[in-house]
Amino acid sequence: MSSGKEDHGHEDIGCLAAIEAFYAYLDGELSEPRAIEDFEHHMSHCRSCFSRAEVERLLSERLRQSGNSKAPEDLRDRVRRLMDEF
Amino acid sequence: MAVAARPMTGIEETKAFFSRGIEANMDALYGTALRLAGTGADAEDLVAETVSKAWSAIGSLQDRQRFRPWIFRILHNCFISNYRRAAVRPQESAYEEDDGGGVAALLNAQPDDFLIWWANPERQFFNNMLGSAIMQAIDGLPEAFRTTIVLVNVEGLTYDEAAEALGVPPGTVRSRMKRGRTMLQKALWEQAREEGFASPQTGTGREHE
Repeated sequence: MSSGKEDHGHEDIGCLAAIEAFYAYLDGELSEPRAIEDFEHHMSHCRSCFSRAEVERLLSERLRQSGNSKAPEDLRDRVRRLMDEF
Repeated sequence: MAVAARPMTGIEETKAFFSRGIEANMDALYGTALRLAGTGADAEDLVAETVSKAWSAIGSLQDRQRFRPWIFRILHNCFISNYRRAAVRPQESAYEEDDGGGVAALLNAQPDDFLIWWANPERQFFNNMLGSAIMQAIDGLPEAFRTTIVLVNVEGLTYDEAAEALGVPPGTVRSRMKRGRTMLQKALWEQAREEGFASPQTGTGREHE
């Protein structure tokens, strides 16, 4: 585990701060360029966090793929009938 | 959709817009309802009720670009009003919503074995994991975390949209993602252990202190 130190002039944020930003980064919700840079810098040299991030990315992909529930046809018909009455 | 021979009136146009919005979001509404209510029959009733309530409240939709978070908010409110009690699921009251202690406190509350596995989980487990196993793990999460993960990671809402749908500040969505995803990883780790993937490893102890 790395814990925040200077590395070629770039201060490392450490594992805890990286994990803090994990999901926002993976979900594309980390918008500040500096925060993205800090996170990516940490990932570039922390094997543990890199490995965790890979697994979380894989899990995010699996979650997205699992979102393929199809509304049953009878529900679609029911909703169409409902909307016809509006 | 029928071709109109004359210009649509305001109400017809609103109705056409509403129908398109419902059709476009039908699968996502049903998928979310299924994860909230737990059974197909309840999920169908929940979606139908959402559509009725939404049409009655169409005047409250200020910005048509925000149809998606608006309709999910109505779904969520309908669930809370009428279905939550019937759903046999873990409730958030049993868990701390606030993560004031930050991620360090969250991680320190986890077993060492889990933290060691999480730093280097077996890829084979994730590659072989069935969608149904993931859904089972999601279904075991407390409601607040389950709903947030389903909206963001399964149905693809942004944090802002999910916050609007749930009626909470965006920071709460961010915090729920951290806690919820950690809980999800832990549930999957427990599955992995049962299936023999997460074999005990030697480690140097707690990593995040």
